[in-house]
Amino acid sequence: MNGTTTIAEFRDAVLDPAKRAHYRLAWLSTVDHKRIAVLYMLTALVFFIIGGVEALFMRLQLAVPNNHFLQPDTFNQLFTMHGTTMIFLVVMPVVFGLANYVLPLQIGARDMAFPRLNAFGFWCVPFGGILLHFSVLAGGAPAVGWFSYAPLSETPYSSSPGVDYWAVALFVLGIGSISFAINTIATVISLRGPGMTMRRLPLFTWINFVNAFIIIFALPVLNAGLAMILIDRLLQGHFFLPFRGGSPVLWQHVFWAFGHPEVYIMALPAFAMVSEIIPVFSRKPIFGYEFVAASSVAIAVLSLGVWGHHMFTVGMGRPLDVFFAISSMLIAIPTGVKVLNWTATMLGGRIRFDVPMLCCIAFLIQFLVAGLTGISHASVALDWQTKNSYFLVAHFHFVAVGAIVFAVLGAIQYWFPKMTGRMMSESLGRWTFWLMVIGFNMTFVIQHFLGLLGMPRRVFTYPDLPNWGWMNMLSTAGVFFMSASALILVWNLATSFFRGKIAGDNPWDAWTLEWATTSPPPHENFIALPPIRSRRPLWDIANPDRPDPVVGEVSAAVALPDHNKVGILSFILSETGFFGALILAYLYFYARPGAGPGPKELDVPRTLVFSVCLFASSFTFWRSEMALHKQKRGSTLGWLALTIVLGAVFLGGQANEYWKLFQSGVDLSTNMFSTTFFTLTGFHGLHVLLGLITLLIFLWLGWEGDSVSSKFDSAFKAAGYYWHFVDVVWVFVLLTVYILPLVR
Amino acid sequence: MQTSNALDPQSPQARAIYDLAIPSTIIFALIFVIVTGAIIYAILRFRGRAGEPDPKQIPGNRKVEIAWTIIPFLIVILLLVMTLSAMNRADPPPAPSPDLVVTGHQFWWQADYPGSGVITANEIHIPTGKPLSVRLESKDVLHEFWVPELTRKMSNVPGQPNHIWLQADKPGAYIGQCSEFCGTQHAWMRILVVAEEPSKFEEWQRAQLQPGLATTSDATAKGLALFQTLTCINCHAIRGVAGADLRVAPDLTHVGSRKQLGAGILENTPANMRLWLKSPQHIKPGALMPDFTFTDEQLDQLSEYLSTLR
Amino acid sequence: MTTYQFFTTAWTWNSIVLILSALAFVGYFLAFGQRGRLLYFAAAVVVFLLAFISPFSALANGYLFSAHMVQHILLVLIVPALLLLSLPWSFSLRPSLTYFSHPLVGWVAGVGAMWLWHAPTLCNAAATSRTVSAIQTTSLILMGSMFWWQVLAPREEQRLSPLAGIVYLFSACTACSVLGIILTFAPVSICPVYQHPVDRLGMLSTIRGDWGLTSNRDQQIGGLLMWVPMCAIYVTAILAQLARWHSGSAPQTEESNA
Repeated sequence: MNGTTTIAEFRDAVLDPAKRAHYRLAWLSTVDHKRIAVLYMLTALVFFIIGGVEALFMRLQLAVPNNHFLQPDTFNQLFTMHGTTMIFLVVMPVVFGLANYVLPLQIGARDMAFPRLNAFGFWCVPFGGILLHFSVLAGGAPAVGWFSYAPLSETPYSSSPGVDYWAVALFVLGIGSISFAINTIATVISLRGPGMTMRRLPLFTWINFVNAFIIIFALPVLNAGLAMILIDRLLQGHFFLPFRGGSPVLWQHVFWAFGHPEVYIMALPAFAMVSEIIPVFSRKPIFGYEFVAASSVAIAVLSLGVWGHHMFTVGMGRPLDVFFAISSMLIAIPTGVKVLNWTATMLGGRIRFDVPMLCCIAFLIQFLVAGLTGISHASVALDWQTKNSYFLVAHFHFVAVGAIVFAVLGAIQYWFPKMTGRMMSESLGRWTFWLMVIGFNMTFVIQHFLGLLGMPRRVFTYPDLPNWGWMNMLSTAGVFFMSASALILVWNLATSFFRGKIAGDNPWDAWTLEWATTSPPPHENFIALPPIRSRRPLWDIANPDRPDPVVGEVSAAVALPDHNKVGILSFILSETGFFGALILAYLYFYARPGAGPGPKELDVPRTLVFSVCLFASSFTFWRSEMALHKQKRGSTLGWLALTIVLGAVFLGGQANEYWKLFQSGVDLSTNMFSTTFFTLTGFHGLHVLLGLITLLIFLWLGWEGDSVSSKFDSAFKAAGYYWHFVDVVWVFVLLTVYILPLVR
Repeated sequence: MQTSNALDPQSPQARAIYDLAIPSTIIFALIFVIVTGAIIYAILRFRGRAGEPDPKQIPGNRKVEIAWTIIPFLIVILLLVMTLSAMNRADPPPAPSPDLVVTGHQFWWQADYPGSGVITANEIHIPTGKPLSVRLESKDVLHEFWVPELTRKMSNVPGQPNHIWLQADKPGAYIGQCSEFCGTQHAWMRILVVAEEPSKFEEWQRAQLQPGLATTSDATAKGLALFQTLTCINCHAIRGVAGADLRVAPDLTHVGSRKQLGAGILENTPANMRLWLKSPQHIKPGALMPDFTFTDEQLDQLSEYLSTLR
Repeated sequence: MTTYQFFTTAWTWNSIVLILSALAFVGYFLAFGQRGRLLYFAAAVVVFLLAFISPFSALANGYLFSAHMVQHILLVLIVPALLLLSLPWSFSLRPSLTYFSHPLVGWVAGVGAMWLWHAPTLCNAAATSRTVSAIQTTSLILMGSMFWWQVLAPREEQRLSPLAGIVYLFSACTACSVLGIILTFAPVSICPVYQHPVDRLGMLSTIRGDWGLTSNRDQQIGGLLMWVPMCAIYVTAILAQLARWHSGSAPQTEESNA
């Protein structure tokens, strides 16, 4: 703790759990999900203030027409950073943080499945945030909007490195999000406590579980897009530049294929929070658990197929416009149904109007408005007037603030007692709530009308057209109420932490497992778990005369799948989105060949030979696994070494092919074929390399004698899945790049 | 005063969208009132008091769930059918060849009339009562053409021509703006559509086809000479001036006849013309026209010359 | 020919199809008698007939790629599902056929059927040769049945567990969506015969003119049909799986309250 600590004392402190807790670095090195969760939420709070100040400055500039308070370029950087910050550095971290804290408790687990991965996922957030904001010092923040449309985001039109920082920061943040999702899936599938079957999961857990699947399918598509834009900007690729054969619209497809699921990734956790709070404060179970659970799955699946509704004015053609309109309107149904379920939960209840419930009521009404304006955007013809105007800005702020922020406010007030052992102040909470309701509606309701009056979005100023002036002034005024609300919230958090009323285990008389332990919970979460037979174990205990109906088999002794297997399979699923996007991009340009090199430059027979090596390495790995089962150390290591050699030979063959192409003047920048070819095969090669490194580590561990523990066994198998997956990807790449030109 | 009110359609295409908006809004408003009504009813009727036992624990009701899934489904089908009809009326298939080509640049619009050969910038004249088939293109980044009272918005995508129909019922000036963020001065990429009776429109076209006026005074002659020698012709075209036929920047043949300068940032007066020439970067920082260092005399001559180009 | 004329006159009374359908009914009664669920079987036959007799079929036979896509979807998803649903509860596969009931086989069959028949040479062959077309129809129904077996087999223990079923269906939906995306955005004609249809019925001008369906649009719509409606069918099946999963414990209520 001070300069005179000796090495021995340091090690004792670190190794002794009791002392470690007091060690100042404990929080920085923690792998405890509860502390990681708090770190996530505090980080989100810091960026919330930064993002809020950005918004404040923007609204000040927009308060009056023809304003010169800010330079246009400054304003453009502000709205880019505001959007990016709020989405990636505020909403996502805060919902991941809440899920991180509550989910393991709700299923009766000791921690998340992969605690160190959990910490890694968190640290991606501040590092990504710092990377993004470093751009300010390195030539200026990006000024291209949070979705960075090409060609504006390409080097000829955005020559400073702001966009590069944006892309790399988002890449890092994306990897962090995917890590969290993998962890969530593995935790829910593999770490449930005795009696906690999948059908008894609280809705908060179920919805976050479903959400994790959206994350693993959508974020990798963003990563593919970011890779493409970085290749364009830094390596002279041409994915999105039309004058070299690229397509600006392709960026929109790739980005929104991520971007639309992203908004559900943010919204679903809000639904999860509200689905816990409303029942507790209505003193009734959620109305129609199965329907809320099923509609979450429907939303998750449908969300992957509606992205074109962001592109109704880009000229996709009538058939595509219509089909995306159909799918977008369809997704409104499960979303809307939920609002009815939540309302029906309140009907017939005995509602308590504590702050969490107030937030949920505001959520319901505001989300309803957001959903209805959303359907208006799904209607193509209406969208042709309202898109890219303040009407759209109003819509998505009703979702992001009116729904999500309000749900989070309620959730914080609800779970703060569990996290800290003290209640937040009800009166300060009410001040926060009412100021936020007034400020939010003041700012954003009027923006619907501004949009209908023709005011486009992303403008640093506007002419003095009729009514635009006072409407904008009103919108700006609301910001002050919201700022006051935020300040009171921070004050509430700080003072309640030190002087709040002691909460006890279950201050709200709630029914899920997190309330069956102390506040805050001990390090291992539970001393003992209550019997779990229904969805509300604590209700059953408190109401033995009318317990909930038993869900599923009475004594559910479930054999849970190995968490390493679930983890690696989730990771592999995430990679399908990444490679899928790259293969589709390859095919897109393959179908529109330009001048220059093409697949005919490729030496197919040679590649086939090297491919056989790669496929053979899957066989040798399998042999290695078999040998491990039989506990034959020599065989295991031998076959493993052979696997590594075969993989290295494959990579060598790839490197050789690259070398030959470079020699004949074909590199990333030559034409669309070369750009997509090197991108696709390059990323595959990178994955092979990472696989080889993993296998080398196993070889070393095995050599050092650690090969007979069961932990090694399960991890080795998981590595095997990854290695086979890399092979499967190569099958597709082989077929698409090398074989397809021969048959067509 | 000109407005750009989407709820005040001035063409059949805009009206088709408006005709969809009204019934849709009524449907949405009804849904809002019913659901919010239920929420408010719940708040008022089911207040809990401290110490009260918990109420009957209703898990759900399958029939209700099915009903309130089917009803939204039917509403959605209705909205879809209405939307399809509006789409067809607001956006019929394009004509085989366009009447007007609007090209987006950072941060101004070029308008070409293939039929007559007129080329102008930012201020687009059209005859009333006739639908014009407009092709939208871009020379650099994404832009978006949006004149709310006349038509749907549509992106100008570089490398991919798009199409809309543009029509105005009555004579008048209709304003719009670029609505796809395109860089620093996206906010000042405004559009002015001037709709005139067909005969007046013909007059305008004829006038636009004339070359730039011959210079009438010593000052304007000097202005023309400056235009030719001080690199203006590297970007700007003036019909009738030798060597001035590049259109990297707005065509200036009839710049004096336009109501605004700088794609809407200034009213077009000789004084403003002079201000613009003195320092475009001061008026519209980030515009692609750099600041030149003119002397006061040169500024007088240039602005006078350009103002005569009516 | 106008649209009205077309939809009233272009019914193809294909005798082979009619005879097969009649035989199918006979076969069904012989095999299952009263134990079967006739309504589903009748629905399957009706859909099958519609796919081949209605004016729709005339469109699919060489005019419109999108119409042919609808036919495909009916044959690989709708008809097999109805057929499986019409089997009696007690039905189980002969032991020699259990290989066909492995989930992976079913998945590859269902997804493969779509991918296979859209390879340009095969697609063209099926549109021009009656023999190949018959093979295509039979294979689609067969492979569709193998796919749906995993989810709609009459006996509980022969099906995948509900959550596994969701993974099965979702991955199939993704695989077909990928093909749909490729078809929608491909600038080249996947099934060249539809680019220059033989105008046997005099409908071409109506199709290209009144209906506004150029061959590009037609292929786009075909791709979109494989994407959105096909996935809607899979999503419905996923929701049905969830419903099955959730309702699996109804009897327990009596026990726990006893």
